[in-house]
Amino acid sequence: MSVSCDRVTIRFRASVEAVSDVSLDVARGEFVAIVGPSGCGKSTLLNAIADLLDPAICEVTGRIEIDGAGRRERTRRDANLGYVFQRDALLPWQTLLENTQLGLAIRGIGKERRLARARELIAMAGLAGFEHYYPHQVSGGMRQRASLVRTLAYEPQTILMDEPFGALDAQNRMVLQAELLKIWQETPRTILFVTHDLAEAIVLAQRVIVMSRRPGRVKAVHAIDLPYPRDAFALRGSAEFARLETTIWQALRDEFRLATETNA
Amino acid sequence: MSRTWSLALRRTALIVAIFVLWEAVTGGFGLGIVLVSPAILARPSSALGELGPYAQSGLLWRDLSTTLTEAMVGLVLGIIGGAALGLGLAYLRGTSEVVEPVLVSLNSLPRIAVAPILLPLFGLGIASKIALSFFTVFFVVFFNTYLGIRSVDPELVKAVQVMGGSRAHLARFVVLPSVFSWIFAALRTSVSFALTGAVVGEFVGASAGLGYRLNIAAGLLDTKRVYLILLILMVFAVTLVEIAKRVEARLLRWRPSATLGT
Repeated sequence: MSVSCDRVTIRFRASVEAVSDVSLDVARGEFVAIVGPSGCGKSTLLNAIADLLDPAICEVTGRIEIDGAGRRERTRRDANLGYVFQRDALLPWQTLLENTQLGLAIRGIGKERRLARARELIAMAGLAGFEHYYPHQVSGGMRQRASLVRTLAYEPQTILMDEPFGALDAQNRMVLQAELLKIWQETPRTILFVTHDLAEAIVLAQRVIVMSRRPGRVKAVHAIDLPYPRDAFALRGSAEFARLETTIWQALRDEFRLATETNA
Repeated sequence: MSRTWSLALRRTALIVAIFVLWEAVTGGFGLGIVLVSPAILARPSSALGELGPYAQSGLLWRDLSTTLTEAMVGLVLGIIGGAALGLGLAYLRGTSEVVEPVLVSLNSLPRIAVAPILLPLFGLGIASKIALSFFTVFFVVFFNTYLGIRSVDPELVKAVQVMGGSRAHLARFVVLPSVFSWIFAALRTSVSFALTGAVVGEFVGASAGLGYRLNIAAGLLDTKRVYLILLILMVFAVTLVEIAKRVEARLLRWRPSATLGT
């Protein structure tokens, strides 16, 4: 298993339960999406898998494994994880070209190879001509592309994505979904993709995990038996897509409804 | 472009108008209007006339270079010292909690008030002026560094950590650039603080420098020279701040606000 969570519970300040008794397995090369209402702890779970939670305020019980090794049993570098944030998390003081080399620089890759790799990926992501721009000088969509390129550059085996397209407008979101699909179909990597957008989850993933409202539990798991290569645009109009959306929405709807009621 | 030119023109016109008015009310242009006694307010033309003798005596260059040296050495040392202490304390959270009240108290002290005690410590030479300049800059930089570290974007830290970055990587890619941006954002303030420190230090006791010469002229009621030195100081300060602004815009060109300039 590439990512494996066994009865994982996460508490904040020893009292508030964010994630409750979650078990899930993601096979090597599998694309899995997690959907759930906001505040259901799906991002927290992703952070726990990446070992990014502050142990002073978060208590994680249960076992999390990446490629069969517990999180503290290996260095982060050996775990070779990629993480794409909702906000691009690019370094504002570096150009896009410099930003995309970050992971390679951390791995001590020489300047020549770093540059070659970064340029190749930048061209692939349609960012050619913007290498020397700073993040604030380009659009949100371009920043998120650069952020994706930065992650792909050091070839992580497993990529965790936390609502990576959530801050983009609808058109940009669809374009980037199509590009992500293309990248994954060409070079299958394990992807665990958190989103609150059900359509996005269905278009991209092989499996969709539905989480309940806080404290987040696994409510249902749906296999998305749509064949690859998928066309992110054409798929949305298909009957198969509509059927899946209706089915999974049944499970999700109650959580949204309950979430609104509890909040009110 | 034409808007820039018209603005420059209007700005120059205002400065010229101020000088013309000033000249007119101090007995200039043969008008015979003397609203303010020349002993209090020198006529600009006579003040500028002092430039020749001042420059020819060789004192102008000596004073300028003395004050510039004091201010610049104080500035550089202040930046280095403030940044070092700010970085050090931010990493030693336990110590910083203990030291904070002391630093806050020192900072609340009007910086130039320590000038008299610096004199016996460092003597009449440039060292005491450098010390005062350093002292005024140090706290600006220190507090900016300290705040800079605390305001590092946690998401950037996570991004570096998840890629397997070490503490050294974090410092190099996230913490230091973030801190430098705060230090350079305070560069303009630091430059004028450094100059203030140098000039005030010269007031208290010196053997050269613009502040020293100004103080002597004031004591001799040599109003012409007083105003000349004030004008020189003004031009001097504006030039330094302008340079600081350029440096800042260049170093912080990655920032949306810095590239716009003011």
